[in-house]
Amino acid sequence: MQLKQLANISAALAAASCAVLGQDAQAGTVLDDWQFNSAILLYNETDRVSAGEAILSARGDFGDDKYLNLGLVVDALTGASATGAVAQPGVQCFTRPSGRGSYEVASGDTPLDDTFHDTRVQLDASWEQPLAPNWRLTAGGHLSKEYDYLSMGVNSILARDFNQKNTTVSVGLSYSHDTIKPEGGIAFAYAPMLLRTDYADDDSYQAAFNATRDRADDTKDTVDMLLGLTQVINRDWLMQFNYSLSMADGYMTDPFKLVSVVNSNGEVQQNLYESRPDKRTKHSVYWQNKLHLGGTYLDASYRYMWDDWELKSHTADVKWRFPVSEQWYVEPQLRYYQQSAAEFYLPFLQQSDSLPQYASADYRIGKMSTYTLGAKFGTKLAAGNELSFRIALYQQNPEQDGADAPGVLANVDLYEKVTAVMAQVSYSF
Amino acid sequence: MTDVAVSRGKNCTLGQFSAMASPCEILLETADMTLCRELTLLAAAEAERIEQKYSRYRTDSVLSQLNQGAGQWQQLDDETAQLLTFANTCYQLSDGLFDISSGILRRAWQFDGSDRLASQAQLAALLPHIGWHQVQLKPKQILLPAGMELDLGGIAKEYAVDKVLQLLRAQFTPSSLPSIVVNFGGDMHCSRPRHDGSLWHIGIENPGLVDHAISAVGLTTGALATSGDSRRFLLKDGVRYSHILNPKTGWPVTDAPRSVTVAAPNCLLAGMLATTALLQGASAEAFLQAQGLKYWLVA
Repeated sequence: MQLKQLANISAALAAASCAVLGQDAQAGTVLDDWQFNSAILLYNETDRVSAGEAILSARGDFGDDKYLNLGLVVDALTGASATGAVAQPGVQCFTRPSGRGSYEVASGDTPLDDTFHDTRVQLDASWEQPLAPNWRLTAGGHLSKEYDYLSMGVNSILARDFNQKNTTVSVGLSYSHDTIKPEGGIAFAYAPMLLRTDYADDDSYQAAFNATRDRADDTKDTVDMLLGLTQVINRDWLMQFNYSLSMADGYMTDPFKLVSVVNSNGEVQQNLYESRPDKRTKHSVYWQNKLHLGGTYLDASYRYMWDDWELKSHTADVKWRFPVSEQWYVEPQLRYYQQSAAEFYLPFLQQSDSLPQYASADYRIGKMSTYTLGAKFGTKLAAGNELSFRIALYQQNPEQDGADAPGVLANVDLYEKVTAVMAQVSYSF
Repeated sequence: MTDVAVSRGKNCTLGQFSAMASPCEILLETADMTLCRELTLLAAAEAERIEQKYSRYRTDSVLSQLNQGAGQWQQLDDETAQLLTFANTCYQLSDGLFDISSGILRRAWQFDGSDRLASQAQLAALLPHIGWHQVQLKPKQILLPAGMELDLGGIAKEYAVDKVLQLLRAQFTPSSLPSIVVNFGGDMHCSRPRHDGSLWHIGIENPGLVDHAISAVGLTTGALATSGDSRRFLLKDGVRYSHILNPKTGWPVTDAPRSVTVAAPNCLLAGMLATTALLQGASAEAFLQAQGLKYWLVA
């Protein structure tokens, strides 16, 4: 008798209740439903990198709060990126990172390597399901491949709801293994960039070039840990706190970046391949608020990141969505980012100084502030489908940090600003 | 006509009225106050219709007429026949614990927070008149033995929530249907997820915090119903007697959770499962787990 009482009677009762209500019985607990999101993003930096990205993601509802998430991202980059070398009053000649071919940079221009192009394909998959009442597990993996780079990883998040699901605590762990195999191989730290014109023939140049190369490929392993707290403050306010720790071990030098060695008059004597530490531990704290304010929807977040490269950054991001008609909403966004330079960041090396253990002139790890100013326009279509358009301006402003520019460097722009425009179209169905 | 009040809430419009001894709310995701008023008036009229038909306090209700006609075969209208068929299914599936003929136990028990327990003699006099198995139900007819009474208190409010939402739904084409919540004193049903993807956060009574009274539950679609003893109980010698009575013994169920909330595709089903869970006493959670639906329980 006890067994009978504890049997699942909900299916039979569902049918009976639907009969009373004059509806067809629905399979209330087993919904086999897929939701798709697609987007195309175009990114264009003035005179530098252009990128196009297509995203398709799908979420399948397998009932009982079980979901399968699948994602595909394809992106293509082309254009020119800063090499790290300094601008000069005269024309400069550079060898491409592969060792084959060369390019010239005009007087006063920031050296850019214009052969930057790549296509990346990334696949993600994860499975979400409850483990026990109030416990939820998500486990997944990713595979990302581009011409010279392969990344594979696994991840999991365990979440526990408390306080009638008003509080969620989550713990995440992920591991990623990356392999880089740049064309032309990986140079020794501080290997000089050789110029074909300094050699009598191709063979002697190639032999010298090969001597600057240490290995064909290298790897990096990264472990990330996440501790999160999500709290419903009231019916209009959701707050989230995250702490994350990321530990990377392996090759983190950019094999395409150079550091210029200058004399006391600021004239480049030589360009060397950069060298970065092979360990990095990053910490970050993140605070997010999602608020309903009189028919509008505000998303405000702040992140503080610090690491043992002594790079510290602050990110503040505000998005505010409000309806402009029955069908359309507009969502302006302002994001401000500020970082201090990594301890080994140097815009150039002085010939008179001894070589430091590590040095990089990559502006992306130098002192910098950036802001993003954008707006998204979205509309609901029939059957709950959503179409949105987003346009944003992304401004990167590298800043001088200490180092005075000697001689001729005083007359060139060592910290060139970069302006980019992003446009995105998204469709959910 | 029932009095309705319409106001603008945060991110929604809200229509309110009183029916079935509960505060009733219609929550609409759009800012259209006129639409909200029209829907609320429809809702209030439908709630009043169901209340008039199934209230045991109104002597002219269909239910009171049935009770007065006990002892002879009586004709049933379609709606009442379907509700009684549902009650029959509930009785069978709950192994006799969910019994709409158990309402007369109220004569022995007043759950007023006092320590006045019923006497065994009182219960012994009532028990012979309890038991749905004694009722004969044909498709359109019922024979209720003399001395027995039916009480749809455990079904009517949840049924009204579902019928009201059905009526409001019928005012829209499927593609123009907004997110609407019908909430009658914590028993609620939502038409569809909100367009902005956010949850409806609706307070449900939390007996652990009687005067703070509510804690929010997020609702996207489907129904929620709550059964519990937040206000109706007896307390004697430190034992709390819930108002959930076992129809077989006439005694309050012991060791049951204080409150159970169940999420289900409709409110009738959610309410029936919440009540049946409480009737399982200490096995309430095991029963809920076996149902494969979401639930919240206050021990």
